[in-house]
Amino acid sequence: MATLKPMPQATKISAPFWQALKENQVKIQQCNSCDGWVFFPRNHCSHCLSHDLDWKEVSGEGTLYSYTLTRIPTMPEFADEMPQALAVVELAQGVRVNTTLIDVAEEDIKVGMPVKAVFDKVSKDGETLLRFTSVSNDGGVREFKDPLEGLERNDKGQVQVPVSNLAALYALADNEFTPWSNSIVVDQALINAFAELSGDDYWIHTDPERAKTDSPFKTTIAHGSLVQVLQSKLTIALPFEITGFQTMVNYGSNRLRFPAPVPAGSVIKGRSKVQDVSVSHKGVQVTLEMHIHVEGNDRPSVINDLVILYR
Amino acid sequence: MGLAGNAAIVGAAQYKPEKYQTAPQMFHLEQVADLAHQALQDAGLHKDDLDGLVINGPQFHEASVFVPAMAAEYLGIEVNFAEVVDLGGCTAVAQIWRAAAAIEMGLCQAVLCVIPARMAPLAPNEDPAWMAQAMRYGGHSTAYGAPEAEFDLPYGHMGQNTGYAMIAQRYAAQYGYDKSAMAKIAVDQRFNAQYHKDAIFRGKELSIEDVLGSKLVADPLHVLEIVMPVAGGAAVIVASKEVAARAKKRPAFVTGFGERLSFKSPSYANDMTVTPVAEAAKRAFGMAGLSPKDMHAAQIYDCYTITVLLSLEDAGFVPKGEGQRFIKEHNLTWKGDFPLNTHGGQLSFGQAASAGGFSQVIEAFDQISNSAQGRQLKGCDNVFVSGTGGVMSEQGALILQGG
Repeated sequence: MATLKPMPQATKISAPFWQALKENQVKIQQCNSCDGWVFFPRNHCSHCLSHDLDWKEVSGEGTLYSYTLTRIPTMPEFADEMPQALAVVELAQGVRVNTTLIDVAEEDIKVGMPVKAVFDKVSKDGETLLRFTSVSNDGGVREFKDPLEGLERNDKGQVQVPVSNLAALYALADNEFTPWSNSIVVDQALINAFAELSGDDYWIHTDPERAKTDSPFKTTIAHGSLVQVLQSKLTIALPFEITGFQTMVNYGSNRLRFPAPVPAGSVIKGRSKVQDVSVSHKGVQVTLEMHIHVEGNDRPSVINDLVILYR
Repeated sequence: MGLAGNAAIVGAAQYKPEKYQTAPQMFHLEQVADLAHQALQDAGLHKDDLDGLVINGPQFHEASVFVPAMAAEYLGIEVNFAEVVDLGGCTAVAQIWRAAAAIEMGLCQAVLCVIPARMAPLAPNEDPAWMAQAMRYGGHSTAYGAPEAEFDLPYGHMGQNTGYAMIAQRYAAQYGYDKSAMAKIAVDQRFNAQYHKDAIFRGKELSIEDVLGSKLVADPLHVLEIVMPVAGGAAVIVASKEVAARAKKRPAFVTGFGERLSFKSPSYANDMTVTPVAEAAKRAFGMAGLSPKDMHAAQIYDCYTITVLLSLEDAGFVPKGEGQRFIKEHNLTWKGDFPLNTHGGQLSFGQAASAGGFSQVIEAFDQISNSAQGRQLKGCDNVFVSGTGGVMSEQGALILQGG
């Protein structure tokens, strides 16, 4: 499950920190030369520059050094967490960590309050962020909750995602293709009709006799743009329906490719996946990656990254 | 140790702060040449007098490397001293002392310090969205391996507002927080802006109630306690005593400076409420042989109201923890007993990216050279100037004195 919030990319230096969080432990580095504690992870001690550091498990307890409540999201991706209690926590070892406080009422947040770690599972794969909460709260682990869970479904079984539910929108970008659509035949009559309509009557599409001898495909092929527009005849069962918007605009395409030919008479089918969801001042932009294949061919004949803007 | 006070600001130019949408678009090289021309005219000097160049590297439109060479070539000058400064809002102050130091070392006679900050025209096929995309993460690096990309951005820690807000919250917990005192900083500065013809908020007066009634952005900071980004740009000529002697205006000698860089994220500061300007100002005053009470005006970098409070305290104008009381007890306008940011500060003048820091430098020069039309202080000889980059990450201080 992709969340489109910026995610930490572990490096060779920091990997033990993130791995420990996955295992519900806080590990930070301590210097064997000067006993100093080090955070964020480094390949050297921030006190004495020694390279002799060890990873040590610590309690994850500390105090709130400072905080603020965001009344405007720092990035649009965080609009679903508003207001965020951005915090700096000083661990018992004296190092400070940038984080957020969770499950503490605004009026209960006090600089200096004791806090403890919460291992926040932010993806299906167990990716974990280190958050903090009041020591009087239960539980050190916040399990991953699929933001699509509990949303209503329509009579087609599609989950109803309000355009205002950013967490759910982001969760749509899960990189899994829908099942295949219905199939349709692209015959010579259809190709000829498109040739007439578009004015593209090049022989490679329209002259079966010449194609037999001169075309590398040994038969006529459909126009790439014909196959592209035929996506409207392919019923793709998207597992979701976005609701609550005022307008929906086809904003164009980020990528349009015709990697494999569609010989006349082919049966085609399609599928798609949500490649990206982003939020900007223009609205919510959903990028659908649409693939159309000739049945039996693993290589798509059309790849179209369609951008749809909801507002 | 330090400067002998043999280099001075002799001329300056500054674009009127304007909204990005309506400001003229010019290539940065073009702005450099235009600002240089204006600043030289202000000084009564000629292009051939220039033999030093200090310029910004980051955000320079036409080049990301070899910026000084490209700019010098465009200007048609050869220089004995070429420098790029990358200290955010502290860049202007940092450019001035580097120029002064180079002059005192005998490297050069007249140095152009310049930061263009109007937008460049878009190329015919350029997507206007790229800039918004590029600016999305503000001063935060998203590069693989950058600590802030890995440990800040995933939590939503991004941008200046929340960093300054957390500094203010920590201060509040340690020393108390008087919202109306903080608002008064913005209000008194707004009064000053009414007397500067170029201030972006000229004609719009402000009350403490207006500030406290404005939108809360990140507790405890209201939107009217935060600078507004504008298009602009500025240049200052720093010259030797000999060159200054033939300049048109009364020179402002650089008699003291200090610079201190303490961290990138204030989360890792030893003490979030003790800012780097403490060290920088101590060095600057020591070098000049003066103290805060000798200053006739303070031009304090003011990206936020909290920046002003902490800078006033840490630079030694008022003891730690007593800044808010001081603000309430004093009239901070140019007509008052503690003239602060007499041009309106960036809060009311406008913040033209890293050139915003020049607004404070140039206001100090204007006051010393008797050019502050409509808001001129009487007998203004000694002015303190500060610069602040990042989130209180890097700060600089200048002592400027009329010759």
